Amino acid sequence: MALLEVEDVVAGYGAGPDILTGLSVTIEEGTSYCIVGPNGAGKSTLLRAIAGFLKPRAGEVRLDGVLMNGSRPDQMLAAGICFVPQDASLFPMMTVRENLAMGGYLVNDRALLRQRMDMVYETFPILAERRGQNAGTLSGGEQQMVTLGRALMIEPRVVMIDEPSLGLAPMIADQIFEKIRGFGALGITVVLVEQNAVKGLENVDWGIVLDLGSKEFEGPADGILADPRIRELYLGKTMSKGMT
Amino acid sequence: MAHWLQILVLGLLLGGVYAMMASGLTLLFGVMRVVNLAHAAFILIASYMTYALFEGLTLDPMISLFVTMPLMFGLGVGLYLLLFPRLEESPRYVEMTVLLTFGLALIVEGLLTFTFTGTFRSVRPEYASTSIMIGDLFVPTSQLYASLISFALLILLWVFLRFTKTGTAIRATMQNRAAAQIVGVNVRRISALSFGLGMSLAGAAGSLLSFMFPFFPARHWQWIALLLALIVLGGMGSIKGAVIGALLLAVASAFVTDLVGPTWSPITFYLTLFLILMVRPQGLFGAKVRL
Amino acid sequence: MAVVEEREGLLGESPFRKPGTRSRRVTLIAALGLVLFFPLIAIPLFDSYAYVLQVGMLMLMWIAMSSSWNIIGGFAGYISLGHGVFFAIGGYAAGLALAHWGISPFLFLPFAGLAAMAVGFLAGLITLRTRGPAFIVATIAMLFLFLLWFDNWEFIGASSGLDLPFLQFPVQWLKVPFYYAMALCAIGAVYLAYRVAHSKFGLGLRAISQDETKAEVAGINTRWYKVWAFALSAFFIGVAGAIYGYSLTHLRPLTFFAIAVAARMVLMAIIGGRGTVAGPVVGAILIIGVNEFAVRQFGESELNIVFTGLILVLALLFFPQGIVGSLRKSGRLPAFLDWD
Repeated sequence: MALLEVEDVVAGYGAGPDILTGLSVTIEEGTSYCIVGPNGAGKSTLLRAIAGFLKPRAGEVRLDGVLMNGSRPDQMLAAGICFVPQDASLFPMMTVRENLAMGGYLVNDRALLRQRMDMVYETFPILAERRGQNAGTLSGGEQQMVTLGRALMIEPRVVMIDEPSLGLAPMIADQIFEKIRGFGALGITVVLVEQNAVKGLENVDWGIVLDLGSKEFEGPADGILADPRIRELYLGKTMSKGMT
Repeated sequence: MAHWLQILVLGLLLGGVYAMMASGLTLLFGVMRVVNLAHAAFILIASYMTYALFEGLTLDPMISLFVTMPLMFGLGVGLYLLLFPRLEESPRYVEMTVLLTFGLALIVEGLLTFTFTGTFRSVRPEYASTSIMIGDLFVPTSQLYASLISFALLILLWVFLRFTKTGTAIRATMQNRAAAQIVGVNVRRISALSFGLGMSLAGAAGSLLSFMFPFFPARHWQWIALLLALIVLGGMGSIKGAVIGALLLAVASAFVTDLVGPTWSPITFYLTLFLILMVRPQGLFGAKVRL
Repeated sequence: MAVVEEREGLLGESPFRKPGTRSRRVTLIAALGLVLFFPLIAIPLFDSYAYVLQVGMLMLMWIAMSSSWNIIGGFAGYISLGHGVFFAIGGYAAGLALAHWGISPFLFLPFAGLAAMAVGFLAGLITLRTRGPAFIVATIAMLFLFLLWFDNWEFIGASSGLDLPFLQFPVQWLKVPFYYAMALCAIGAVYLAYRVAHSKFGLGLRAISQDETKAEVAGINTRWYKVWAFALSAFFIGVAGAIYGYSLTHLRPLTFFAIAVAARMVLMAIIGGRGTVAGPVVGAILIIGVNEFAVRQFGESELNIVFTGLILVLALLFFPQGIVGSLRKSGRLPAFLDWD
């Protein structure tokens, strides 16, 4: 059985129009995904709908075959679905250590939390150095590492990351992608949304192309990157942006 | 010199009570972005409760804290659940809450006038009319007690926010509501709890004020203007700022009273409020809290 | 359906289609006729003639106040809880002119309005530096500052108030001149709101209420638009204050500054429909009507203020767009109420 199934989901904000117009995606355990597509295709909206921040107007979100529609964000997180939004969603007046501790908010086992925090410091040595510093004072790349580290604190089954490279220098972005690739070894299924489609696809197993709120195409990431027609149709603009 | 010191001490004692009154208001703003215009009206509810308990059961107003605080906590949670989830969808949420709490203040004022009439009331336990001398300093016993209790409660609040898991979740929600949701905080539960907490602080304040000043139902408008001045000075949503603002303004108004008479002392608060909003809408010590 | 869709656009209305112009004209003439001949129609109710005219005058007064408030609070979306100040400025300006120079307040009305407008302009310059809830709080502070000042200003009688000479008029008809003065004021206020709503200026105000940053980018001088809207909204409230104060013959600061006065303007506009021309009129008639009914049935009581608060809370929760706004949104607004 697939880990996460999204079936014919329709969703939008407030009284606004449908952003997702009957979208179906299946996420298998142990595979990493990148969702690409032009602006307004509904990439972020899909993640928000799965994470419980946006209630689908129609359709189903199933985890292990169990219907999850209408669950609150904290319930989705408790079920193992972790969402990392694109704006640095940190607690600016709390230290790095406190921010990481907040990541384990739903975990009550203190020893386990300490163990995981050590693991996060091992994965992101820079955070160990900055542990006593307020998160608001960190650089963009460091802040992104805190959000990723914070996601590890709950040891989720799926981590959905929205635009991890946004606003970062290419070198820093590469470091971030390298860390994200390491998540697979920890048994975490990664779902990325990337504006920089080429970069995103290079770092995952499977690509999903969205346009106008529904799925256009999916396939192995290297296959998509190699297919000149798809590159031209869906990755054209973003690719040239990614090259500069 | 001794005269100035006397005024300073009286100002600081009063400031302690103001600080507690304001902390509940600023907590609500911090967690929920609600400018609660009914906060002072809720404080008055507790004052009248204390009055009824004193008149009926001769219960010491300082003991009645143990009644008013939990009752107001319950009222707060109830009001939150009844009113606010509905408004959260509104595009003009903050403005709507100002009008909503304005309506609540009117309701409370009317109900209090209906039940207790519009005349002045006060609670007069023995210590309301005694004083002690510390060296050359004259200290009214009631103010001393009220101030000590206020500071004790503020310290408890600080410990709760700083060292408990729920308190940390409240601070996290104040700093970044979206991020709090991301890490699994049930922000609605935290909001309800904070509303209850702010209201129980209002409850404590009402009990303490009942033996410090005479009160009548329409009095809350003066109080809310004063409290808003304090928390705007301190930066809305900052509890530390509210405490500093309270102490500063209480001392300032004590000096104004001494220099030009008590009629003009409220002007310290209104003018401060007015001027700060003009110069720095985010307050003096405030972080980047958007109003 | 297409029309409804169109109306939900940026300005909440279509400037192009105006169905029911004729029915609106008929309503307008009927309403004006009723207002003008009401003192005649009411003569058979002579037992309570003074009372009936008093209620009529109050209704007109609140129509004027709530319609004026709507210019800044509805069109521009800046909610002021301090408009009691302009009510007081008008009342005291006319009262002082009478008490010190013997000028009849009825002649002084335009100047009372201008005085309120001038204060509104200055107050707007200062308070409109803030936005949203900070603005609301600033207007409350403004109200209290003025109250404190008036309460301690000996020249105007401080908190004990200022006595005015009675109007020399046959006592059984005494309410008539006040009624007509207030009718003039109400008609003026609604006409002003209508003209603002249909002007480029009004369009700018609505743009500000939708999205101030975008309005600014679009080249609207938002600061002056807001300040002028604030000043204009003060004018007829000042006029109403002058008439009302004279009818009381005794001016006390709290009569004008009571927060309940400011609350009522806001409440009526919200109940009727903020940002629509007809809304405040509907709201004022409804609230005063219900209020007078309640007072007659249950007597004057503190519960009045409870009802004011309760209606405000319920309206915000279940009816935030008010009667006119909700009807328009569902496409069921009768043409005779569509004044925008």
